Amino acid sequence: MADHPAPASRLVTPEAHCAHLRHKGMYVLSTPDPGELKHAGNWDATAYWCTQTQKAMGPDGSPANAACCVSGNGRGCCH
Amino acid sequence: MADEPNVPMEEMGGQVAEVNLPASANPNSPYAWPKERRLLSTRVNRIDGPLKVSGRAKYSYDVRRPGLLYGRILRSPHPHARIVSIDLAPALKMPGVKAAINIAKPGGKVMYVGDEVAAVAAVTEDQARDAARAIKVEYEVLPFLASVEQAMRPEAPVVFEGGNVKASQTEEEGNLQAGFAAAAHVVEQTYATQVQTHVSLETHGCVCEWEGDKLTAWVSTQAVHGTREGFATSLGIPQANVRVITEHMGGGFGSKFGPDVQGIACARLAKEAKAPVQLMLDRREEHLAAGNRPSAVAKIKAGVSADGMLTAFDAESWGTGGAGASSGFPLPYIYTFPNRRRVHKDVYINAGQQRAMRAPGHPQGCFITEMLMDELADRVKMDPIEFRIRNLPPQAPNAMWREYFKVGAAKFGWDKRHPTGDPTPGPIKRGMGCAANRWGGGGRGTQAQCEILPDGGVVVRCGTQDLGVGTRTLIAVIAAETLGLQVKDIKVEIGDSNYPFSGGSGGSTTAPAVSPAIRVTVTKALQELGTRVLGVPADQVAASGGRVHVKGNPSKGLAWAEACRKLQTTPVSVNAGWEPGLSASGSSGVQFAEVSVDIETGVTKVERILCVQDCGLIVNQLTAESQCIGGMIMGVGYALYEDRILDRNTAMQVNPNMEWYLVPGMSDIPKIDIMLMNQPERGVIGIGEPPTISTAAAISNAVANAIGVRVRSIPLTPQKVLTALEGERAGGTL
Repeated sequence: MADHPAPASRLVTPEAHCAHLRHKGMYVLSTPDPGELKHAGNWDATAYWCTQTQKAMGPDGSPANAACCVSGNGRGCCH
Repeated sequence: MADEPNVPMEEMGGQVAEVNLPASANPNSPYAWPKERRLLSTRVNRIDGPLKVSGRAKYSYDVRRPGLLYGRILRSPHPHARIVSIDLAPALKMPGVKAAINIAKPGGKVMYVGDEVAAVAAVTEDQARDAARAIKVEYEVLPFLASVEQAMRPEAPVVFEGGNVKASQTEEEGNLQAGFAAAAHVVEQTYATQVQTHVSLETHGCVCEWEGDKLTAWVSTQAVHGTREGFATSLGIPQANVRVITEHMGGGFGSKFGPDVQGIACARLAKEAKAPVQLMLDRREEHLAAGNRPSAVAKIKAGVSADGMLTAFDAESWGTGGAGASSGFPLPYIYTFPNRRRVHKDVYINAGQQRAMRAPGHPQGCFITEMLMDELADRVKMDPIEFRIRNLPPQAPNAMWREYFKVGAAKFGWDKRHPTGDPTPGPIKRGMGCAANRWGGGGRGTQAQCEILPDGGVVVRCGTQDLGVGTRTLIAVIAAETLGLQVKDIKVEIGDSNYPFSGGSGGSTTAPAVSPAIRVTVTKALQELGTRVLGVPADQVAASGGRVHVKGNPSKGLAWAEACRKLQTTPVSVNAGWEPGLSASGSSGVQFAEVSVDIETGVTKVERILCVQDCGLIVNQLTAESQCIGGMIMGVGYALYEDRILDRNTAMQVNPNMEWYLVPGMSDIPKIDIMLMNQPERGVIGIGEPPTISTAAAISNAVANAIGVRVRSIPLTPQKVLTALEGERAGGTL
């Protein structure tokens, strides 16, 4: 039985985040490596972008990332 | 440790060693990789090599549609400004202009020099450039930050909402005070890396053409399906109406995962002009706006015991990913400090934003940690390899550094390394250095289609893409091995979103995602062929030597052409996909570098590099070695040359070209030796990332070993080398 490609991202979820938020990990289907995860720590090099602007800033000029682009944060550009 | 493997290592042919690791592939899978490999793990020339060297390969830049227009983007000359107004009318009056659009909106802001403002399409590229210049934009210029130092000053203007500096979480483990109390020696130093841009040989861009409400886009992308989704989401059209094609592409290194600003602009221009439009970035735009690797700085205090054991690590780190983007990296890298603390800050400046770049974060963390390791080894007067081995983490199945350091040192001639500072007379000093790397990788989810045609032809289709790394050839090798045919007998069709789904190519996931999908799909197609023409159960079908036959009995079967003829008018057509048990994740490697440094000019030359790298089952040794070579050349550039330099007064990049933004040329490339560790029992593991991680660190340590002075920031320019030597004469840097 094939292992189907889901979930798309550990960082961005449809429930919590703006529908326009993207990062590379949402397009790359990887198998998390236990050794790498243990080694990784909690540093973050994720490059996010907004599909409304295709940039790291949203249409309101503020950064697009998993911390800022969450539902209910009052940001007018969030979907 | 229970999971610590016994690792007898035997070198085979001087290049490929078999390592007895715990198996991570499933030998009982019905699709298990063959134990006796006819084509797999051999050196197979790229099937698209002749197309590329003869110039017949069609990149996005080469796509010429009837009535093609050329697009150009107008970019901000200011690092930070509010757009008061944009007037497209003057551009629309220019000769040859067919369309003009806003990208930014009046009232919105531009955040760096090169930020996109508007775009035009015209009959010729020159007309488009002239028209872009004719667009009238009124800016309200705002305060800006041209450097990390400026952004971190308390009196700096707040340019970014929420502040210019974003403090991240503190990582802490053990007891730092006790760790330093146990230290016999303490090193306190600051290490730094620069901003590196991707410098893909083929720039970003695409050709867009509409037919009614359907869009076809020929895009230089690392993800044809992801880019289809990106076009549809940004333009608000159904994904089913978008087709993305990437026949060939010239590198992306993590920066090409969607339509991007220019892709959407190109599609909008094509819609408005009612004609196909090509919009490829030029080299300047590529440096300014198409991504980069963030800078990194770490101020570290670290302790080591008298017997060479790491005791404590306390670091404050920061870096910039440009305007509003993060700059994280792992620290410390690989080695075990029982007591440690690390605080990191992302610093925002008015410069182009970072994007994923080949092993995001790892080269920075590796350089900083490996420099520190050599300094600590010097303090306890211990050989750097012995010191590293003593402080590696407990061994795990994919952490092979101990063995790789040993086998690599023997091959490299590490026993000829002198202590820090070449004692020989004369201005040319030689030295050796080393560094380790690790990467996760792994891949999944790829789907494929295999057709076996009545005329004997075999077509394998998959919606993956070949970034230039040899994915086409990888697919052909696996299919030919599975069908008992030759590589030339397989037609591979990839790089089209109309083909079965595959994820983007990034994070060393392509080979482990694609290889199982091809193996499973082609095996199923073979089984269907066998059941139809031989009348035996699927699990009894095999192929070898150009024949389809009963498993274990090659004489009971048919020649390939004869078997296919029996299909009459109905081909075999099978769709299937990735299954577990054929690929894995987790790779480790080490590198050694030898350099010569002219202490009169400060010029460093890398003489040779040895790469010891594990990679699971080697599919094609030739392209696996090419991955390593490319990664290390990129590492040479990171160590010695590449640097995005911003003018501190204007925030303009002063070297947005390939004349002053230096990448290695032919004469800069050292002798490169590669020891690939073939691990068939682990299945396929990607190695796009790991070979580039530790090159700069190994070179930097070799420079210190050569000149007896440590240059703690890259790139190691002649000026930095001479300044460090001058500092040594004035009192010492070690």
